[in-house]
Amino acid sequence: MSARQTLRSFILENYLFTDDASALADADSFLEKGILDSTGIMEVIFFIEEQFGIKVDDEEMIPDNLDSVDHLTAFVELKKAAA
Amino acid sequence: MSDLLPQRLLAVATQYPERCAIRQGSTEISFGVLAAKIRALDAALRARIEPGERVALVMENSVDYVASCYAVWLSGGVVVGLNTALKPDDLMWQIEHCAASCVIADTRRWQELDARLPERVRACSIVAGAVPSVVALDDLYRAPFVDVAPVVISADSPAQIIYTSGTTGRPKGVLLSHGNLASNIVAIQDYLGIRADDVAMCVLPFFYSFGNSVLHSHLTVGSGLVLENSLMYPQTVVQQMQAQQVTAFYGVPSTYYILLARTQLEGADLRALRYCAQAGGAMDPVRIERFCAALPQLDFIVMYGQTEASARLSWLPPVDRQRKQGSVGLAIPGVQLSIRGEDGAELEAGSTGEVCVRGANVMLGYWQDADATQQAIRGGWLCTGDLGYRDADGYLYLIGRSKEMIKSGAHRISPREIEEVIAAVPGVEDVAVIGIDDELLGQSIKACVIASEDDALRRQILRQCREHLPLYKMPKAVDFYKEFPRTASGKIQKHLLT
Repeated sequence: MSARQTLRSFILENYLFTDDASALADADSFLEKGILDSTGIMEVIFFIEEQFGIKVDDEEMIPDNLDSVDHLTAFVELKKAAA
Repeated sequence: MSDLLPQRLLAVATQYPERCAIRQGSTEISFGVLAAKIRALDAALRARIEPGERVALVMENSVDYVASCYAVWLSGGVVVGLNTALKPDDLMWQIEHCAASCVIADTRRWQELDARLPERVRACSIVAGAVPSVVALDDLYRAPFVDVAPVVISADSPAQIIYTSGTTGRPKGVLLSHGNLASNIVAIQDYLGIRADDVAMCVLPFFYSFGNSVLHSHLTVGSGLVLENSLMYPQTVVQQMQAQQVTAFYGVPSTYYILLARTQLEGADLRALRYCAQAGGAMDPVRIERFCAALPQLDFIVMYGQTEASARLSWLPPVDRQRKQGSVGLAIPGVQLSIRGEDGAELEAGSTGEVCVRGANVMLGYWQDADATQQAIRGGWLCTGDLGYRDADGYLYLIGRSKEMIKSGAHRISPREIEEVIAAVPGVEDVAVIGIDDELLGQSIKACVIASEDDALRRQILRQCREHLPLYKMPKAVDFYKEFPRTASGKIQKHLLT
């Protein structure tokens, strides 16, 4: 499964409680769409750290890295490449 | 009348027209421009509302919210800021409950409400954004200036309804007068020493009384506000505090827990920050000290209040923070505190009872709920439902709440509302919702369910909650039980559930 698919499944399963892929667009802002809150984003960070073996620093916790499936995918791939 | 908030803001705008009033992202607006928006909107509202009528504001913290709030007041209307996280059914319940004549909403909320509003309300309403066939705020701001005669408002005039979670499920509307708000705001400005050259960051929603008090206590002395509408990315918040040279910051315990856990406070240049103030529930003293150790130059101020008291009741002067650890301090100017026993008699120092308060800041009552008002205000004293005692020096310590309520982040949540949603799921025999300790939120929500343990049912429960409840009311855990501990009369003993 690609990073994008893994991340999509995690968000759908744990925050939208559905298998319906159309419930989440890759560009949807987690903040603006009310998909995640401040604790939810931490759970996502723990998930990607464990799943992809990367470390997210405090200064990397910004919307450009984390606030949609698109942003998360790009961030994870960048971190994996740099590891 | 000149001491009331709208007049104070307009006076400040005349005094400091060029000074920055609100900064939000790349938007910056001066007091002069803000006042012009308020006056333009006031003129437009005269054709829409009569004095005393309610106007529902359904939008995030923004320049538009502030302009709308003050314009409604100048028009003699009553501001009803609604919780933007609510689902449309709950928003509509509040709009109907307060019988709002007009709604001012952002585009997203308007789209949720549009088809549900009665035509007479829809026809008067205004959108912050662009929606075909609905009047836009921006067009009203740009309309040619019309000099309208001021509406006479007095200290007794109703100014605001703030909905709070009720223990019985439906929220209650706290009705505050202009005098309530002005007296409390002036007291806050006094004890915090808020100055015109302060810059405050507000991460708290204006639709709750804490955020509401931050908004008015700063703007009405000419102090600017920096708005950040989410703590989801806390490092961004710290970067803004640094970039905007923020001098005052406010939060609930979870605000500070999140900043401590997920940002590099020690590395940030926050020299301009002169104080951080905390209210909204008891904060862990160990983490207060950790926060102060990370930012030793600032004063950390613990406060206590209630929506029914406009906002603030007591504060712990920073010099007393360690000496009186765990205390919420002394009554603020204009407020009398009394600890009362079950018979209503005042108790001596050291004895625990209900915290009762009196002052010009105590609400007019609950909107259209005379029974609840009579229960809350007895003999001129507001009975807060909080339990506490005063030490020999008069410092107040809170030890709990006499009413069942979950405090999670900045929210007070009635378990009953969540229980009603879960009880409707087929397969659930009984449910009890409780607050459990949470490292960041203070409390998080746990649903205890009597049913056969089943992952599909757990998922169905969470899906039902997601559909009917805002995100902050979502249970973080769903656990299954065979039976609940109960009293002899059959009442669930929630304190035994963990």
